[in-house]
Amino acid sequence: MRRVAVIGVGVTKFGKHDRTSAELFAEAAADAIGDADVSPAAIQALYYGNVTGGEGEKQLHMGPLAATLLGLPTIPTTRFENACATSHAAFRHAMMEVASGISDVVLVGGAERVLNIPTDAATEYFAYCSDASMEQTAGLTFPGVFALIARAHMEKYGTSEEQMAHVAVKNHRHGVLNPKAQFRKEITLETVLKSAYVADPLKLFDCCPFTDGGAALVLAAEEVARKRPRAVWALASQAATDTMFMHEKRDLARVMATERAAVAAYRQAGKTPADVDVVELHDCFTIAEIVATEGLGFFEPGAGGVAAEKGWTSLGGKIPVNPSGGLKAKGHPIGATGAAQIAEIVNQLRGEAGARQVEGARTGLTHTLGGNTATVLVSLFGRD
Amino acid sequence: MTENGLTLKHFFEEARAGRLTGIRCGKCSELSIPPKQFCPGCQERNWTPVPLAGKGAITSFTVIRVAPRGRADEAPYAVAVVRLDEGVSLLGRIVDIPFDALRSGLPVRFRPLVKGEETALGFGPV
Repeated sequence: MRRVAVIGVGVTKFGKHDRTSAELFAEAAADAIGDADVSPAAIQALYYGNVTGGEGEKQLHMGPLAATLLGLPTIPTTRFENACATSHAAFRHAMMEVASGISDVVLVGGAERVLNIPTDAATEYFAYCSDASMEQTAGLTFPGVFALIARAHMEKYGTSEEQMAHVAVKNHRHGVLNPKAQFRKEITLETVLKSAYVADPLKLFDCCPFTDGGAALVLAAEEVARKRPRAVWALASQAATDTMFMHEKRDLARVMATERAAVAAYRQAGKTPADVDVVELHDCFTIAEIVATEGLGFFEPGAGGVAAEKGWTSLGGKIPVNPSGGLKAKGHPIGATGAAQIAEIVNQLRGEAGARQVEGARTGLTHTLGGNTATVLVSLFGRD
Repeated sequence: MTENGLTLKHFFEEARAGRLTGIRCGKCSELSIPPKQFCPGCQERNWTPVPLAGKGAITSFTVIRVAPRGRADEAPYAVAVVRLDEGVSLLGRIVDIPFDALRSGLPVRFRPLVKGEETALGFGPV
């Protein structure tokens, strides 16, 4: 297999847009191609991610549409859907196309648009990512999924609502430093703790927002990447799946797919958690960040809440987590999130992350979780 | 009937009549819901449907206050993962138990929630 690098990244402003998801992706993709300093004609394939376009925009067959609006209507393209891990899953497959030698330069990314529809409709479409037969009929929502996890974690380890609130405060503090973030405003612990319950014990400020946005990456084989000093190597990309049913999870206080994907990714890259300098992980809810920091091996099981409280995951802490502001403050356009996380890590490893730069970062990790913890992707990146 | 002797349609027809059904692996005795082809534990394809008593205890729960479209009139409502006495778990809507009485370990009993054509899994007081 050939080495693969990310040679270009592009991310739209996250927030509310009056453009379609395919338009948002096309903008991010054009920026990524410009950043990569390759001709648009060099792109050999597009791996495109979107989740709710069929429901919210009445749009399927969206890969060719995205390619058409980009101005590259003849490149082979396929749309990926893996709930909130959509474009990270697309990334892994794009990486395999380059690693295998099929293509030298490939475009990957995704976009989502949901702020054009009412919140209850978006909540319904997101809930389609849980099982239709038993979970949707019981009225389970995504905050509900993570509320079940939060309560299990609180009862097993003593994690508190205040510790969860620290994650929100930290990610909003980071988001202030990110010009692309949806929210660029600090919040206090009190704001989080006094916000209304959405799904007990999770409150409004424990939840990431609905977001419109797009993100894109240009991947290239070593021969292309070697001529580009800003290239960042994709050292590993692994996917893991767990049962779709919350009632079949082995332990509600853990995300087994995170643990399996992480072990496989560290092995593929020849790295350990101690080698990682900067992390973008899936904080769709504050408890999700706490459980992920444990599952990725940065803290012992049950110690993630204390780590958040002590500031160990803050910029300047032991292991900076979500310097971009994370899903919580940067925003979560679900089809774009995985690619946007990778774009942040690429910028960090290039030393181009501006006010939120983790000084001297050489190795970065991205973690994206899909749906009711049934899909997880973990990738590792590095500089020579 | 399929290889496992149970389809989702049959599972819900039975549930609508108040009867919970699981499938038991003929090799390793694992009990499972919903019906599936291979046993996730031992990969055997040899299931037998088994009736379940419907009694269990709450493992984790939440009170959902922001509902999806079409369920706003039902909110707030509680959803829980329940471990049945036979050792298999299920997720369902909690009914007829005050929110402040909910706790892990609380005994509950299965009851079908019928709304038009739809059957949902519910759990109420024992």
